[in-house]
Amino acid sequence: MTATVEAPGQDRTRGRARIARVAQRQGALVILAVVVVAATFTFDSFGTAGNLENIALQASFLAVVALGMTFVIMSGGIDLSVGSVFALGGVLAAWGAGHGTWAAVLLPVVVCGAIGLVQGLVIARGGLPPFIVTLAGLLFARGLLLLISDEGATTYKVPPSSAFRELAQGSFLGIGYPVWIVAVAFSVGGLVLHRSSYGSTVLAIGGQEDAADLMGLPVLRTKVVTYTVSGVLAGFGGLLMASYTSSGVTVLGVGTELEVIAAVVLGGTLLTGGAGTVLGSLVGVLLLQVIRNVINQIGSLNSNWQAVISGTILLVVVTLQRWLATVQRE
Amino acid sequence: MNRTTFPRTWRLVACSAAVLGAALAGCTNPGTSEQAAGTGGNSGDDGQVVKESTGEGCTLEEYGAEKIDLSQAVVGFSQSEPDTAAFRAAETKSIREAAKEAGVEELLVTNANNELPKQIADIQNMLNQGADFLIVAPVNSDGLDPALDAAKQRGVPVLTIDRKVTNTHCEDYLAFLGSDFYEQGKRAADAMNEATGGQAKVAILLGSSGNNVTEDRNSGFKDQVQAQYPGLEIVAEQTANFARDEGQAVAEQLLQSNPDITAIYAHNDEMALGAVTAVQAAGKQPGEDIKIVSIDGTRNAVQAIVDGQINAVIESNPRFGPLAFETARKFYAGEPIPENVIITDDEYNRDNAEENLGEAF
Repeated sequence: MTATVEAPGQDRTRGRARIARVAQRQGALVILAVVVVAATFTFDSFGTAGNLENIALQASFLAVVALGMTFVIMSGGIDLSVGSVFALGGVLAAWGAGHGTWAAVLLPVVVCGAIGLVQGLVIARGGLPPFIVTLAGLLFARGLLLLISDEGATTYKVPPSSAFRELAQGSFLGIGYPVWIVAVAFSVGGLVLHRSSYGSTVLAIGGQEDAADLMGLPVLRTKVVTYTVSGVLAGFGGLLMASYTSSGVTVLGVGTELEVIAAVVLGGTLLTGGAGTVLGSLVGVLLLQVIRNVINQIGSLNSNWQAVISGTILLVVVTLQRWLATVQRE
Repeated sequence: MNRTTFPRTWRLVACSAAVLGAALAGCTNPGTSEQAAGTGGNSGDDGQVVKESTGEGCTLEEYGAEKIDLSQAVVGFSQSEPDTAAFRAAETKSIREAAKEAGVEELLVTNANNELPKQIADIQNMLNQGADFLIVAPVNSDGLDPALDAAKQRGVPVLTIDRKVTNTHCEDYLAFLGSDFYEQGKRAADAMNEATGGQAKVAILLGSSGNNVTEDRNSGFKDQVQAQYPGLEIVAEQTANFARDEGQAVAEQLLQSNPDITAIYAHNDEMALGAVTAVQAAGKQPGEDIKIVSIDGTRNAVQAIVDGQINAVIESNPRFGPLAFETARKFYAGEPIPENVIITDDEYNRDNAEENLGEAF
């Protein structure tokens, strides 16, 4: 790479590296576009405004959680607690809605943020592996949920008069509020990643933590913030779901963490950290939702195909990522 | 990274792409949705018998739905749990066969894999595909509101089966078809009394907590024991989450800590089959030294009665198909449909298990 006279071969290598970078970032978008176009032409009811709005709305709950997960994975970590925290957030919100709209919004955000904060502190200060710490968080949050819901037997309902219902059931210009919230959240997320020192520190930690530390970057603080934000967003996703379903459903969120991780990786974020885009994660979530929708359109197809197809696409994307990474390095 | 790894990686990619391609190709092949899942003989003629109907009637007019001809209707069925469970498989199959029997234009089937958000999406999806009538096995009693609202907006009636929703009858949903789980518990107590001769120390394997099936099957059993059978003493109860492996593990622990247990009541067949193994492991004879009674009526459990390992099974009939379509037909004929349609469940015991084995699911 330090050669002063460029050989013609290097030019080609550089061109290939650029294509590789684009493919890694936009690969999921290409797959999404192909699937959407194909489905629109194949199924009459797929391309309808109602159906597309449904897909966007239903993807928005996971998308909120995936935004937090994107930063966690980019920093080289993982957050297994988000599924349980998502469910806990929903139950807290529904319970809080009985005591006013502010309680419904603040309670889950504060409690779930606190869970994220503790996880972040243990990971950053204690130097423990995120996998184990957030696994403990998964169990803790699920246990807490069962405690406050009488072992899951009590489902708190959002009162019919509560303004909290509007949050996810209302719409603006015919598009549900959750979709707008996701649009704003991801725009902010993109700015934070690319335009703030926090964002570059996250990427630096994910790239090489020791180097980031030696450069004097605030590694500990950044990690704590990242896990706290992940907790807040998971709780927020849960509260949106509670508003949408008008109840604090206790059976939610089992395995959701894996779905979110899959979406983030599909979106081009490297599981090893250090690279990725915020928008990619949104595409990843949409892709999973579209696949689910298409399988329903087929009707005769067993819904387990969803897992099979999602798994296959994930495998292809991860394989491609690996290959593209080697191309870029050359 | 050396260049020799490229071809191998490429091959992997190509291979995965081929798999994906095949899967997607399979997708673009619509129109087989009415095909029955299987042709196992006897399930068609084993529909449910209504035991009692409660609650106010709901007519087509009151519900605000439009009259349609079932033979030209698209019917959607939203299953709650994976068909790996025998109950769910039998339920889905029954709906498919009854739809064929009723001659509906198309039957859409979705499976929520136990996820509430997916069930909401599934239902909205089927509405988008033009479903005129919906049969829903709810994942959860609460939280289906967005899906039910969407159906209401389109004037599509929703019939819930096997689990009741907490929404408003005749406004959000048409009716509930299902078993009386409390009654099942009471009958299990009767069967336990029969099997033990009225004297036993009973351990209970509970289903998943926070579930009305578990609660009702438990309180029905206990209330009946308290009222009728003073000789049956309940010495232990532990949850085993409706799962066979957990049923086995919990039964093992209970038998160790309470060696004087002489009977086990399991809230479902899977846990009972786990208990059979646990009893054998403890060096005792299931069905003899330790009497076992459970609820469901799966083929494996009824076979275990024939083999002498389980004493009795109270049936929980999953074959909702014929009754569901009969209810739809009556509804569109203008008849009022009661809020709760409770079905009759059979019982398998040592006297009838062998001859009725074919009816188990």
